[in-house]
Parts: sequence; structure tokens; C-alpha cells
Amino acid sequence: MSEAEKKILEMLANRKISVEEAYRLLSALRTEGRASEHAAGAAATAKPKPKYLRVSVVPGPGHEHDEDAELVNVRVPISLIRSGMKFSSLVPSEARDKVTDALHEKGIDLDMRNLKPEDVEAVIEALDDLQVDVVSSKEIVKVYVE
Amino acid sequence: MKRPPVLMRVQIQGRDKRFGLWLPLFMLLPLAVVLLIILSPLILIACVVFRLRARSRRPAHAVDAALSVLCSGRAMKAAFDVLCSARGLRATVINRNERVNISII
Repeated sequence: MSEAEKKILEMLANRKISVEEAYRLLSALRTEGRASEHAAGAAATAKPKPKYLRVSVVPGPGHEHDEDAELVNVRVPISLIRSGMKFSSLVPSEARDKVTDALHEKGIDLDMRNLKPEDVEAVIEALDDLQVDVVSSKEIVKVYVE
Repeated sequence: MKRPPVLMRVQIQGRDKRFGLWLPLFMLLPLAVVLLIILSPLILIACVVFRLRARSRRPAHAVDAALSVLCSGRAMKAAFDVLCSARGLRATVINRNERVNISII
């Protein structure tokens, strides 16, 4: 029993509050306790924010000792992607229209006029679950965040 | 607070040669500031010219508009943000002849 609960029962015993009021106060205390426990549990299970985007290329199975095999390992800070994407807001509207048209010609339906800072944040948050594995006979390409 | 990177390390390792370079970026930043101060009158003139040209043309020419934005303080802030965010960037390429490693610290 917590101190607050004891105090409520004491007040009830001293007839400072009615039974109904004591019941309401105790219910409110228990609800609050459950909410704080839930919040603490959620904070404990929350995943840490990703810091880097990793791209690695390694030789495929059986090609580890090939003479022309290449090994690539790139680590890009997520903050750099964020800053880079914010550059799009600096593109003047005239140039933005041209970029949108050029992308449309190539079959990419992306309208840069609709790209807002909150969309950029959403894209970066979604990177958290990104994992791309391309496995060919010669090499394995992996893109992931850590 | 955002801090610009301090060092850039470039390492190239071949079969019979080895090359390593530590670039002190913290020393380049004061140089860039000095250069900016020296060139500031020219930048100011360019800002005014490009902004006027972009405004006078209807529709504005994309190149003029782009240059007017690039000369603005917003672009400089964005460039500084990119520089600061580059901390931790690392790229390694290894093939049979050489190994190249670039990292920004």
C-alpha cells in the first residue's frame, strides 16, 4: 500500500471524506499508477534511433578469393541524409518544376513541390526498418541502418 | 549544438605503396571564414544582381533563380549543416590491388 493510499484511508477513517470520494480517489491513483508503469515499459522496449546508413558489398559465396572481387563498406550518418534532403527546400520553384518534369519523363512520378519537411522526417524514421539484401552469384549487397 | 568535423583521413594502400593523409578540417574552417569575409562584397553584388534578374523575368529563368538562392544566407546555413552532419562518414573500398579508406572524424 502506498503512502497516498494510506492517507486516503486515514481521511476516510477520520470522516474527512465520504466512502464514495475515497473510492474515486483510490481508483484515480490506481489508474495513474498503471499508466506510468505502461509508459516506463514502453520506454524500456523502445528501439534506439538509427545513426548510420550502411551499404556493404561483399563477394558472394564461392567468390571470396576471386582476384577481381571487391569489398565495399560505406557508413553514412543519418543526419547527413536529413541535411541533404533539406537542400531540396532551397531549390527554386522554377527549377523544381523542371526537375519534376524530368523525373516524370523518366517514369518517376515524384512531385518535388509536395515534398515537405515533415515528409522528410517520416522518410528518415521509416529507414529504421530498412533492410535490403541483394544476393547474386558474384556478390552480396546489403543496405541497412544501425 | 552542431560542430563541424575536425579531421578527414584518407588512406590509400597499394601492393608496394602506402599513402596516408590527415586533413585538418578545423584549420580549413577559419580559412573559409576569412575567404568569405574577403569575398563578401562580391557575394553581395552577385546576390543583388541575380535577385533583380530573377525578379525582372516573368517567368524567371531557372538558372538565375537558382543562383539567387545559392547566394542567400539560407544556402550557406544548409551547406554548413551538411558539413556538420558529415561527421562519422566512412567509406572503405578494397580490391586485389589496393585499399582505399576515407573517414571524416
